[in-house]
Amino acid sequence: MSNNDKTRTVLDSTSVDNSRRDFFRTSAAGAFGAAALMGLVPTSIKTNAWAAGSDAPEITEVKIGFIPLTDCAPIVVAAEMGFDKKYGIKIIPAKQASWAAVRDKVMNGELHAAHILYGLVYGVQMGIGGQQKDMSVLMSLNNNGQAITLANQLKEKGVKDGRSLKRLLDNENRDYTFAQTFPTGTHAMWLNYWLAANGIDPTKDVKTIVVPPPQMVANMRIGNMDGFCVGEPWGARAIYDKVGYTVTTTQDIWTDHPEKVLGTTADFVAKNPNTARAMTAAILEACKYIEAIENRAKVAKLIAGKAYVNTTEEVIEGRFVGDYDNGIGKKWKDPNYMKFFNDGAVNFPYLSDGMWFLTQHKRWGLLKTDPDYLAIAKKVNRIDVYTAAASMVGVSVPKDVMRSSKLMDGVVWDGKNPAAYAASFKIKA
Amino acid sequence: MLRVMIVDNDLERTKPLKQSLLDTGYEVIAHLKDTVNLDDACCELRPDIVIIDTDSPSRDTLENICVMTMHQPRPIVMFTHDGDKEQIKLATQAGVSAYVVGNIPNERLRPVIDAAVARFEEFKHLRTALTEANTKLTERKVIEKAKGLLMKQRKIDEEEAYAMLRSMAMQKNMRIAALSEQIVEAAQLLL
Repeated sequence: MSNNDKTRTVLDSTSVDNSRRDFFRTSAAGAFGAAALMGLVPTSIKTNAWAAGSDAPEITEVKIGFIPLTDCAPIVVAAEMGFDKKYGIKIIPAKQASWAAVRDKVMNGELHAAHILYGLVYGVQMGIGGQQKDMSVLMSLNNNGQAITLANQLKEKGVKDGRSLKRLLDNENRDYTFAQTFPTGTHAMWLNYWLAANGIDPTKDVKTIVVPPPQMVANMRIGNMDGFCVGEPWGARAIYDKVGYTVTTTQDIWTDHPEKVLGTTADFVAKNPNTARAMTAAILEACKYIEAIENRAKVAKLIAGKAYVNTTEEVIEGRFVGDYDNGIGKKWKDPNYMKFFNDGAVNFPYLSDGMWFLTQHKRWGLLKTDPDYLAIAKKVNRIDVYTAAASMVGVSVPKDVMRSSKLMDGVVWDGKNPAAYAASFKIKA
Repeated sequence: MLRVMIVDNDLERTKPLKQSLLDTGYEVIAHLKDTVNLDDACCELRPDIVIIDTDSPSRDTLENICVMTMHQPRPIVMFTHDGDKEQIKLATQAGVSAYVVGNIPNERLRPVIDAAVARFEEFKHLRTALTEANTKLTERKVIEKAKGLLMKQRKIDEEEAYAMLRSMAMQKNMRIAALSEQIVEAAQLLL
């Protein structure tokens, strides 16, 4: 892949005379000087031109949906810091109000791709709770950085971990309500896994509801729920607002767990393979940038803005760099804070990661029968697209398409025998 | 009789919908704002159909109810995934999403969806017209400002200032309002 940034052009977005300026290849200073002469101060947009060729992106303006969460950072950074232009595209981040809207708009083409919950992509692939559509995971965006929060009232009842929650539920005769973010999504699976690992059956012992992430804290404050599982910054926000405390982080459920992905439809990738590769490369480079700890304060500030996560910067920044405080007296430096790159280990769409969500969908009765786990993961996770994008960015790709992880209950998941794994849990639907 | 539940933060938008459904003989059992109690409301009121804004954050709450009840006697399926394609497209464009319980035949649902689409469209047109009117007003204000600046700087009268703006805009192939905005911006920086 040649790197065509020799033909640097300055486009003046406020002027209509772009063609002439391009023609004369006016320098930045020249264009500004001319504008200044006319008493005008234009806002200039710097772009690197991309040579047209067989691998030129089919679509150059790419609308990518996101939900206001800390892990939408790769989409925002790719667009705001110009990583998109390097790969010949312009990413337009599009804020969405619900995962349902993300799904529908990706499915009907209103969005070209999105920051999506890993499990949701597989839910659509399997037609759970709606229309089936063939989907694609182009890359994984992050690991870790979600949490389960309990309401302050539970602290007064002595709940400080899963075991004490189990004791409380056994002894109290009232319904406890837990919220997550989407029925097939990641938070539903982390919440279920954690409850079940503590002997609590999420389908029988508690009531589960769905609440949009930005509304979690407000709902907890008015007593609508006893606990919730959501992505940061909303766990940190609950502590900041003094309505709840962190009972576990998701990295303590599964260290380096898969979380959000860059997802789109299989149709989109088939019709726009070059755009798919370009956006994957641009976002991968953004992930690499965000990973560097020295860049995180800047990124936190950027995504805290009203157009993106819309919260106070300090609420994002603490956990973003690994400074954890559980809100009931424990403070620690978490080595497994939200990761975006980790030399590419975060971003590779491991088949075992995709299959894991299918095993949990089966475990909790969202799938009635065992699907062909491996075949589906091979179809959905576009290792081919990711690998091509990674080579453009100069990121190496792991040899094995599976990885092995030990979860909080000591059970190992390595992608082998998925049906047996799904059936192996004592608590299941 | 179909029991309809409407969920929308913008009650102004859905009030006429509610009225037209009532007029055509539907039972509107609830007209809620995006609500934290949507789960309870669905459980208690058992609507046959829920009409909701496509961009409402509460949609995920309904999705969960759909999935949770998928394998039970009263499944909720998302209507827009079953109906004909053209209707789905119209509904999406208008910003209407509908969640429907069980096996209600399409011909019974269609009037409700059509009414919702029509009302949402109407509302969208009203809003667009309002935005346009506001833009025009803002443009007029900025042109006035630019004129004032030119009059002061060049010591010319209003008519001359406007003629100057117009010829500058023509030369630069710009709209007068856009040019005025740049002049005002530049003046803020330079003066």
